[in-house]
Amino acid sequence: MIDIKKILIISRFTLMEILKSKILYNILFLGLGLVVITFVAHQFTYGAPQRVAIDFGLGALSLSSIAIAIFFGANLLKKEIESRTIYMIISRPVSRVEFILGKLLGLIGVLTMNISILASLSLLVYFISGGNFDSLIGWQIFFIFLEAIVVLLVITLLSLLTNQVLSILFTIFLYISGYAIHEVSSLSFVLNRVWLQKAINLYDFVLPGFYRFNLKDHILYESNIGGANLAATLSYSFVYSLALLLIIAYLFKRKSLD
Amino acid sequence: MLKFNNITKVFDTDIFTKSFTALEKVSFEVEKNTVVGFLGANGAGKTSSLKIAMEFIPPSKGEVEYIGLGSTRKEIFSKVGYLPERPYFYPSLTGREFCLYVGSLCDVPSKILKEVILKWAPKFRIDFALDRQIRNYSKGMLQRLGFLSTIIHDPELIILDEPLSGVDPLGRKELKDIIVEIHQQGKTVFFSSHIISDVEDICEKVIFLKEGKLHYEGKVDMIINKNLKPFSTIRYMRNDQVESIEVKDSEKQATIKELIEHNVNIISVNQHKPTLEEIFYKTKNDDRY
Repeated sequence: MIDIKKILIISRFTLMEILKSKILYNILFLGLGLVVITFVAHQFTYGAPQRVAIDFGLGALSLSSIAIAIFFGANLLKKEIESRTIYMIISRPVSRVEFILGKLLGLIGVLTMNISILASLSLLVYFISGGNFDSLIGWQIFFIFLEAIVVLLVITLLSLLTNQVLSILFTIFLYISGYAIHEVSSLSFVLNRVWLQKAINLYDFVLPGFYRFNLKDHILYESNIGGANLAATLSYSFVYSLALLLIIAYLFKRKSLD
Repeated sequence: MLKFNNITKVFDTDIFTKSFTALEKVSFEVEKNTVVGFLGANGAGKTSSLKIAMEFIPPSKGEVEYIGLGSTRKEIFSKVGYLPERPYFYPSLTGREFCLYVGSLCDVPSKILKEVILKWAPKFRIDFALDRQIRNYSKGMLQRLGFLSTIIHDPELIILDEPLSGVDPLGRKELKDIIVEIHQQGKTVFFSSHIISDVEDICEKVIFLKEGKLHYEGKVDMIINKNLKPFSTIRYMRNDQVESIEVKDSEKQATIKELIEHNVNIISVNQHKPTLEEIFYKTKNDDRY
């Protein structure tokens, strides 16, 4: 039986620990720097400065969220095990599943704070430069959040299977290929080969398809995206995250902490 | 209260290196309301045993039983306090935050936690540093904070892995006094150490591991009495000078009588009592204790 209270306690102190560390501020400053660049870039743009503002803003938001997910995700369990701080926690009446859920929730809290701050700044620049309200921007911000959660879960899983450096490299590789796979699947070279299509479909089924979270083209070119597509992305992120969580919990429960 | 039943632990490394047996058929029991010392040289298997007891690593064979502490893991572990060897903490948290963290995980209300901290922190001489970030703590302070966080939920069984390492002599004395005080409150303390004199000072029972095997389990007094040597030292005063002689027990009475007849002032007569260290390490080639 999972105790929600224990998960919340662990997440609260994980959040507190990360917020007190100076590393997070470096990433936040990087994000803020990108927002400033956005502001400067839109000032020099002729035609549609608000498009540049939102493109840069969402890019900064996505980049900093992924950086936080990768950097802290790689350390989330590895550091606990290597520094043996985990012994001080799981020697209490706390299950390993509660521990990992609490740690992940704490880091999701950090992502929420990062996205809230940077999204507010990006939107401010966007509205100042004459942008109009578009609900898709809200969806895109939410999808960046969901994408960062998937990245966080992917790197947490990989960190249980391999070392820190490799888990970072594999996650970056999966992130890039998770976007590229969509482009590749529409190439005529692929369309003319059934086996290649099947291989790409299998990749898309098993490995994370990050392209699904990208609505920027629809926002920039003001094209419409159906509610069904948004619901499909929501369902995808939910099911994929749940599957990753179950695998992480299974592996972590059986991990020897020596 | 804690029972090891035929625990074997084999560490498999990789296909190119031979597997390593850390523990072999180890069985012992820690009885309720006792202070039990867990002895053995470095690499004897003490820490592996404690990690198995805390379910950090699984045993290859055998099982660990907690008697009278509950039926589920959560029930049992809410009554167990564990301090790992060289405890590590979250460096950005303060000592107080860490205590509140681990205490709340044991379902202790924050009001009671604050009272416990108020009561025990001065005894551990850590009260002055509780609001500092842990990254600024010295080695001894970390050990004291670890000790405080171990007993913060008033556990029935306290398991300590090398609790006195990294602490100065005065600190060792203080921590040993605290272990005795905790025991007097009806708690069971099981602690590992490779420093035998620490165990001898405060333990009633000792469990001795050697190369992953159990070599002795029993009362400290019993093993010392069993290893008493048939010699006594007689100290006496002659010509304003203290002198001593070592005599066989069979000759003790006659020697004392002779000294008295010569008007010698006898100060003390002590039977030679070996220390645990002498018994365990100086006779290391002899497995008969």
